[in-house]
Amino acid sequence: MPPGIDSLKHIVVLMMENRSFDHMLGALKAKDPRIDGLTGNESNPDAAGAVVKVQALAEFQGQLDPDPDHHFPGVDLQIFNGDNGNPRVPNMQGFVRSYFQQQHDAQHAQKIMYYFTPDKLPVLTTLATEFSVFNRWFCSIPGPTICNRAFAHYGTSFGQVGMNIFEIRVPIKSVYERLDQANPRRTAKIYYFDQTSSTMEIVNLLQHQPQLFGTFDQFLADCKQGRLPDYSFVEPNYNDHDSDSGALIASDQHPDHHVQAGELFIAQVYNAIKQNPDLWSSTALLVVYDEHGGIYDHVPPPACTPDGFVAQPNDTGTGRAFAFDRLGVRVPAVLVSPWIPKGTVVDGRIFEHASIPATATNFFLGSYDQRTPREKSAETFLDLLSLSTIRTDAPEFQVD
Amino acid sequence: MTVIKVPKPPKSAMNPDRPASSLLKTQILHMQEAEFRLPVQQQTNIYINRIKTEREAAEYIRQVTAQLHPEGATLVTDIAAMAERPPHPGRKGKIRAAGKTKPTRKVSAKRKKG
Repeated sequence: MPPGIDSLKHIVVLMMENRSFDHMLGALKAKDPRIDGLTGNESNPDAAGAVVKVQALAEFQGQLDPDPDHHFPGVDLQIFNGDNGNPRVPNMQGFVRSYFQQQHDAQHAQKIMYYFTPDKLPVLTTLATEFSVFNRWFCSIPGPTICNRAFAHYGTSFGQVGMNIFEIRVPIKSVYERLDQANPRRTAKIYYFDQTSSTMEIVNLLQHQPQLFGTFDQFLADCKQGRLPDYSFVEPNYNDHDSDSGALIASDQHPDHHVQAGELFIAQVYNAIKQNPDLWSSTALLVVYDEHGGIYDHVPPPACTPDGFVAQPNDTGTGRAFAFDRLGVRVPAVLVSPWIPKGTVVDGRIFEHASIPATATNFFLGSYDQRTPREKSAETFLDLLSLSTIRTDAPEFQVD
Repeated sequence: MTVIKVPKPPKSAMNPDRPASSLLKTQILHMQEAEFRLPVQQQTNIYINRIKTEREAAEYIRQVTAQLHPEGATLVTDIAAMAERPPHPGRKGKIRAAGKTKPTRKVSAKRKKG
């Protein structure tokens, strides 16, 4: 086994909010053609049929207001542009039309095609180019946050395509419960930012298993003191609020929160791990986004192994049932470890949020059967830790 | 070793009076679901339908989470971890959404059993 896997003790997942791959990393294609980003010729028709091209004009805040539609019917329009044929082929041509429907402002709707230049995202860009970036990491459902995050925790959303509270169906357990109840027991924790931001996993996890939770301050302390659990899931700050220590700007990058605040947060997570040498050499950090937020991406989501659930037409809002047999839109995903060759571009393999519990369960528990077919067939990512010698050239982030 | 400078967002990025996003509204609904299962004396007196802004949402979330996970209020003694946060005069912003009347809520199972 490669020494990176032999020495691996911790997996950390940081899940950010609502940005597509092309929006955040598409410009990197110009720097590295292996990265499946933007050429500049990608386009969508507007409501009148005029061509709207992608443009490197994304700003940190103030553009994507109102929040672009990222619920199931809206995303269906974005992916299929109103095609009602059978079968349907995703064409990724409906983003401008979808955003236009929110305000009927043709000029404003074009902003859904804007993307960031790399200099504006020094942290994500650095991690993507210094470590590994996934060309094909898709969100698990063509829909919103709650059901997508569920795939990261359970390998399924139990038939949910929306934001409603979902009911856990035994015997599927969260990855945290699997580890906690294993013999020998493994450790897992969800670190939410603070009580005022809290977690998105309230009803099923925080309410019933509060012992699984910690705060971001505790994450920082645990990194410094070498007490990080085997598996950690980190949530950013979901809202602007004051605290005893000062004003805290939302760091989740969900529109219309400031993107630089999220960059800062990602840097803090990275630095916390890297500044403890023992932790740095034994940790794999995945930075991923829960869904695309309604923002343009050019790669059609592929079909996938169903998870055994079906959402009925009344629940999808599209007039069609959904068998969880197609992934959602592509999102940024980078894997960080000093055992990953510099400039790794992961191509030709499909990843999605079920890859997260699949990877953690396979690594910490080995054989484990009580999972959905979707998770059992999901790609895992620890093979990227392939170097025979640990790198000593990893960058550091200096927070001003 | 390469050192990458990471700029902080401007203070103007902070706007807790912006309308609560659909994500925050969902989080509030989920919080309420959990809150109604708490003993009555631990429930907030906040009528969530009157929550409009991010500030109001944040305060409700804080109060419910404090009941669900009181350990989350533990102060960090690691000064290095706190050093990156800017100083601030103090917390402000009482929630405006506390209503004088609230819709009927479920009585907790404990109280039903008496």
